[in-house]
Amino acid sequence: MIQLQHISKWYNVGGKPVFILKDVNLLIREGEFVSIMGPSGSGKSTLLNVIGMLDAPSEGSYEFMGQSVTSMKEKQRTELYKKNIGFIFQAYHLIDELTVYENIETPLLYQNVKSAERRAMVSDMLDRFNIVGKKDLFPAQLSGGQQQLVGIVRALIARPKLLLADEPTGNLNSKQGEEIMELFSKINEEGVTIVQVTHSEKNAAYGSRIIHLLDGRIESVSENSLKQV
Amino acid sequence: MFRNYLKIAFRNLLKSKGYSAINITGLAVGLATGLVILLFVLDETNYDRYNQKADRIYRVDGDIRFGGDHYILAVAPDAMGSALLKDYPQIEQAVRFRNYGGMRVKKGDEWIQEDRVISTDSTLFDVFTLPLIEGNARTALANPHTVVITEQVAKKYFNSTAVLGKVLQVNDAVNYTITGVIRNIPSGSHFNFDFFLPLADASESRENNWVSNNFNTYIVLKEGADPKALEAQLDLLAERYIGPQVKSAMNINMDDFKKSGNWVRYSLTPLTRIHLYSDKTAELAPNGSVQYVYIFSAIAGFILLIACVNFMNLSTARSANRAREVGIRKVLGSRRLQLVYQFLAESFLITCISLLLALGLVLLLLPLFNQVSGKELRVASLGKQGFLTLMIPLVLVVGFVAGSYPALFLSSFRPVSILKGKLATGLKGGWLRSGLVVFQFTITVVLLVATVVVQSQLNFIRNKQIGFNRAQVLVVQHTNALSRQAAIHFREDLLNISGVQAATLTGYLPTSGSRSDSPLFPDATLNQKRAVSMQTWNIDEYYIPTLGMHMSKGRNFSSGFPTDSSAVIINEAAAKLLGFDDPLNKPLYQMNSFTKKDVSAYTIIGVVKDFNFNSIRQRVTPLALFLRPSRGSLALRIQSANLTSLIGQVRQQWKALLPNQPFDYTFMDDDFNRIYQSEHRVGRIALSFSALAIFIACLGLFGLVTYAAEQRTREIGIRKVLGASVSSIVNMLSKDFLKLVVLSLFVAFPLAWWGMNKWLEDFAYRISIGWWIFAAAGLTALLIALLTVSFQAIKAALMNPVKSLRTE
Repeated sequence: MIQLQHISKWYNVGGKPVFILKDVNLLIREGEFVSIMGPSGSGKSTLLNVIGMLDAPSEGSYEFMGQSVTSMKEKQRTELYKKNIGFIFQAYHLIDELTVYENIETPLLYQNVKSAERRAMVSDMLDRFNIVGKKDLFPAQLSGGQQQLVGIVRALIARPKLLLADEPTGNLNSKQGEEIMELFSKINEEGVTIVQVTHSEKNAAYGSRIIHLLDGRIESVSENSLKQV
Repeated sequence: MFRNYLKIAFRNLLKSKGYSAINITGLAVGLATGLVILLFVLDETNYDRYNQKADRIYRVDGDIRFGGDHYILAVAPDAMGSALLKDYPQIEQAVRFRNYGGMRVKKGDEWIQEDRVISTDSTLFDVFTLPLIEGNARTALANPHTVVITEQVAKKYFNSTAVLGKVLQVNDAVNYTITGVIRNIPSGSHFNFDFFLPLADASESRENNWVSNNFNTYIVLKEGADPKALEAQLDLLAERYIGPQVKSAMNINMDDFKKSGNWVRYSLTPLTRIHLYSDKTAELAPNGSVQYVYIFSAIAGFILLIACVNFMNLSTARSANRAREVGIRKVLGSRRLQLVYQFLAESFLITCISLLLALGLVLLLLPLFNQVSGKELRVASLGKQGFLTLMIPLVLVVGFVAGSYPALFLSSFRPVSILKGKLATGLKGGWLRSGLVVFQFTITVVLLVATVVVQSQLNFIRNKQIGFNRAQVLVVQHTNALSRQAAIHFREDLLNISGVQAATLTGYLPTSGSRSDSPLFPDATLNQKRAVSMQTWNIDEYYIPTLGMHMSKGRNFSSGFPTDSSAVIINEAAAKLLGFDDPLNKPLYQMNSFTKKDVSAYTIIGVVKDFNFNSIRQRVTPLALFLRPSRGSLALRIQSANLTSLIGQVRQQWKALLPNQPFDYTFMDDDFNRIYQSEHRVGRIALSFSALAIFIACLGLFGLVTYAAEQRTREIGIRKVLGASVSSIVNMLSKDFLKLVVLSLFVAFPLAWWGMNKWLEDFAYRISIGWWIFAAAGLTALLIALLTVSFQAIKAALMNPVKSLRTE
């Protein structure tokens, strides 16, 4: 599904390049649950952003579902990722001025889904995740765990093939975190590919493969035998 | 999707009520100004459109150079209309107006002075659309001693409009039978009369005199006729009819007439252009000026722009608050264009809310504007179609101008950096925003300078030595209701009232009354090259002492010299133009009639010091004073502690002579100020516009400072913990903004200097724009900006640092 070849990313600081990612090669198949680990500044988030097409690599090639992302135009790229990728953030990033229902609905608006169909899809998701009672609340009225749940529902609403999560449990307590990770496993079993960035060994263990990054390079890859696809 | 945008917009509005209020108030005030000006412009540009044939009606205007004089006239000879009608088949109809001044009309026992009186042809109703409520359009003005009146006059005199056949008694003796009642003339008409008398009463209208121009002549062209082609033939027509009469009067043919530098030309002025573009001699009423339309529109546009800039600046300054939303939306799949739409939708929403508020403001502002501009705009015209169809584009343009920059700016954010929390935006790097603030204050300061310049020019006018003493002069009007002898007695009787020091009987006063001019010749051959065209006024021997004028040479008229009836006093300007070394005892010749060879000779007995009798826009022009009876008004020099009682006594004398005639008086001071009405108007407009501009600009500045203070709360807290004083923090917050205001002063001053010098060029006597004017305007702007800024700055600086640091 995802094929990264010789991906590098650098910034010029005082005329010298400072590498964030250096010659990263990575293949992720459909249905995988990959955890990316590494210390602060090792390039985890940048790698995730490159995969999510929010950031362009300075060098290297990126193929997503057989299409070359690096040679695509901005507009095509937007089309591709809004259909196929859902994002989840550490800080949830819900829109404060919209209710739970409206937040979840927003991605559908950008995919020109008809109003009746939208209503059906959102109601269905609200049901599935047991948050029907919260649909008219604003993000500020929810706990962190509930907000992240809404974030996940929003990421899933457009039925993406790939879910990208940047430290999804970073702002949550351990119990909430565990619930979220259980949910991820369930989603993964339903066929959605997941790539998550995390600091926690425990959470990383939910993945079928763990990639360790250090100073922008892949240091090691460990297969999780328990979760082998 | 759109609903989603509106929802977000609404919730954002409610979330930051303060900023929304600033945005909406600013835009509303700007829009209200714009709407009022829109009403004004619509009204001005639609003058005379109520006439069904408006596009085919033209006025025949004269352009005559003769005897060193150049006349640009709104009138033509009496026979022009009929000659055109006879010679050119493309003309459908013609009508003439002749203004013989006002008249006194009897109502019960009382005489009422009516000034909105005109004499006209019976073809009036074929040309202008003046619907008759009563009477027959064909015959209404066909017979002598008939009158057509307006609805309001009918009601005033008879309390009814069914007044056909009733009689109005006019000027003591004459009876006019009412043959028609028309609807009141719309306010958007370049003439506005209440009484239409038939020209059948005036023999002058049938003289076929082609060398005298007294008739405002209007023609209607047939559908499809080309006015240009007709206009091209008017010179030939003039030659055809004028030639023979010039020949018989001056014994020269047209070629010789032209060779000595004279000409007689006629042109067509479209009816719909008269109000805004025509300012000729003998207009039916003073017209408007297209210059005002331009100036008003430009200023209103600028004020709207200032309001839009507020919106732009506040939206972009506060972009940090929206940046996260932009980032999320982009990640969720929004294209940039969709975000642009969203932010534009928001600005349209705000514009619409402002519009509602603005409409309310218009209702409040309209009476004020009418007062300032001297117009009669009505609230009802808000419902007119022209207004509605222009209001919608106005809102769209304002919404777009205000919203487009913020929309482009906000939608350009890169999601990755925003969501990581790296916000390089906000207040920093806002050079464009600084530029916009400079732009706002530049306009404001220009308006302020304009206000100060206009006010000081008005002051200058008020205090200028104008060559006569206009203070404490009471002018009794309409004294021609008295017979000549009675008027003379009236003058003498008034002199007995204590407090009346002197009195003069004349129709020609420097501040008001009649004017007449004719060429005077220094030699008996009537050599046109040496002719000087001048005002020729008829006065008595009390005129010069009563009005406090001074003789520079020679003497005043005196009853001790019986020969003074053939004497003349000229002013210095005339003496200079006539070219005499010593004008005293030199002869001057005047033609009494153009058609008959009849010349009178006068001897110059004195030169009076120049005094202003025109607006001081013009230099003092040549003037000749003759000792001839004239009794249009009686000017009294008074010196009294009790003005009311003095006027009461004058009135008593008047009533004793003319029990039923209205007693009208003015003060010469007021008459003088009335000449400068349009300057006073400009002054008031400049003042109100600059007040509006500074209000809106400061509103924006207030918003920006508030936001800056909010953004820097933490910094201020830390600085205070480290020992910064309140004043140093106020200084820190205010400095950046005041710098911008100072910068705008430097941009504004040259602009204002240039513009106001242009305005002053209209005055022959004017102030020079001194440095103090700029200092006054600049200080005002700075002071108001400083107050605005420091209010918020001080509030921020006084905040307890413990509190501001804890929230972080």
